[in-house]
Amino acid sequence: MGVNISAPYIYVCTRMRVRKAKLLPKEEYMRMLNMSVSEITRIIGETEYKQEIDELGTAFEGMDLLEVALSWNLAKEYQKIQEIAPGTLKAFTQDYLRRWDIQNILTILRGKVQGEKTGKIKEILIPAGSLDKIMLDRLLAEDSNDRIIELLKGHRMYAVLAREFPAAKESGSFSHMENELYKQFYAEILGDTKAGIKGGASFLSYIQLEIDIKNVKTLFRLRADAQAPEGVREMYISGGTLSPTDFTSLNAIRDSNEFIDQLRASVRNESLHTLLDEMKGRKAMHDIEIRLTRVQLEQMEKMSKRNPFSIHPILVYLEKKKYEVFNLRALARGKESKLPSDKIAEYLVM
Amino acid sequence: MALRDIKPTRSELINLKRKIQLSERGYKILKMKRDGLILEFFKVLADAKDCKGDLLQKHARAVEMMALANTVEGAIGVKSAAFSVKEVPQIALKSKNIMGVVVPQIESSKVRKTLADRGYGVLGTSTVIDETASAFEELVEAIITSAEIETTMKRLLDEIEKTKRRVNALEFKVIPELTAARDFIKMRLDEMEREELFRMKKIKSRNTA
Repeated sequence: MGVNISAPYIYVCTRMRVRKAKLLPKEEYMRMLNMSVSEITRIIGETEYKQEIDELGTAFEGMDLLEVALSWNLAKEYQKIQEIAPGTLKAFTQDYLRRWDIQNILTILRGKVQGEKTGKIKEILIPAGSLDKIMLDRLLAEDSNDRIIELLKGHRMYAVLAREFPAAKESGSFSHMENELYKQFYAEILGDTKAGIKGGASFLSYIQLEIDIKNVKTLFRLRADAQAPEGVREMYISGGTLSPTDFTSLNAIRDSNEFIDQLRASVRNESLHTLLDEMKGRKAMHDIEIRLTRVQLEQMEKMSKRNPFSIHPILVYLEKKKYEVFNLRALARGKESKLPSDKIAEYLVM
Repeated sequence: MALRDIKPTRSELINLKRKIQLSERGYKILKMKRDGLILEFFKVLADAKDCKGDLLQKHARAVEMMALANTVEGAIGVKSAAFSVKEVPQIALKSKNIMGVVVPQIESSKVRKTLADRGYGVLGTSTVIDETASAFEELVEAIITSAEIETTMKRLLDEIEKTKRRVNALEFKVIPELTAARDFIKMRLDEMEREELFRMKKIKSRNTA
């Protein structure tokens, strides 16, 4: 790191580290595993989620209140970070959070196709991306999906939506469009990181890691599916260290150990190599997925330590905050469903 | 059929004998049908037991997977993925004949789907959604199979009950009454014959005297 780092960068990165330090530690989750639902709810209500719980208390109740409050807090936190991030960090953060736009738009389009009421769709939107509550409300108010897409003219998603939506509408399945949106999302981020903007290289290293992990997860999911789909290439995200040819040929390998060996040879990532060695003989998909997520977080943490005044501290906080919400929701929902504590613990990202 | 209403004539006796023969033949056939149906019922019962066990197991797994999906993805994630489901499985009802009992044969459209056919994108969801979708697809398949077997069992039971009532009616009511009527006519005809013989003898003895 050079000495000419501007004060706002140092300020934001330090704030991110402080916020990250405030997140719940592993010990707290372990303690919560032995609590009842009401105790967990009380603890969540006493933390920084209190404001959302109080605000939404009249509209929701029970577990739904907790879940919506957690999501709203996440959205609010993400919006706040977008506001305080300076210069290129702001642009990169906005780029990174655009995945929430994809999720929200797909939920609206699908909800409209299913004939769901506007209120019901609104309940499950998380305005954490570039589309804020006002814009999402405007989209929700439209009756036809074509009009919703028209309203998105000028947004980065528009080109893919305009291209893919007619076919999706015809077939009734949005899966291809969804995959295309995510692929375009990563392609645009890669484009931005390689555009010569200051700090782009740091962002690129993280995005490549995320793409690698995503591709590896997809390969494992395709293996778990009894009938491997024909269009495997469609699920491949380019830009990582795994080539499209490797992706297709890896999917064709039936023997698990051979698959892991080949995957290990195809991916250039040390921590993934170690994890893949450990995965030999493991069958449970969720276990593999959670382990891959943990590796991703560990790698992010290392990157953030190496580049303390870059996009990395922000990304680490964004991801860790997401998993805090994920863990709290998992704990509360798991307890509500009377799942044993050790089963819930298997799914927590700590 | 009260005995006093019966006309003790030869033609009536012939009629009754025909009816008895027919009833006995019907009784034997119905008894065979009942036994056959019971055998079929026990065959279906074994399948039904397996099917019910399988159904309960798959239901428990689906419920557990839904709980896990809600835990991992939250109700928001699950609802969002559920919006992707565009079609309800279509069911075609055919029928087959088991010893005269028409039972349904259910053929459904493909319930189990591949990852690509489920309607949600692979890149925006997690594996727990796949596992939950798969558990529910298996449950729907088990429900369809179970519906076919349970309806077959219900129809067979109804038919067994109906056949049993018919067999009992023939065995304890129709055939005994017909036999009693036949015996009565026989007795009456024999009596009339004896009366006739006695009368003839009397006339003959009066003429010779």
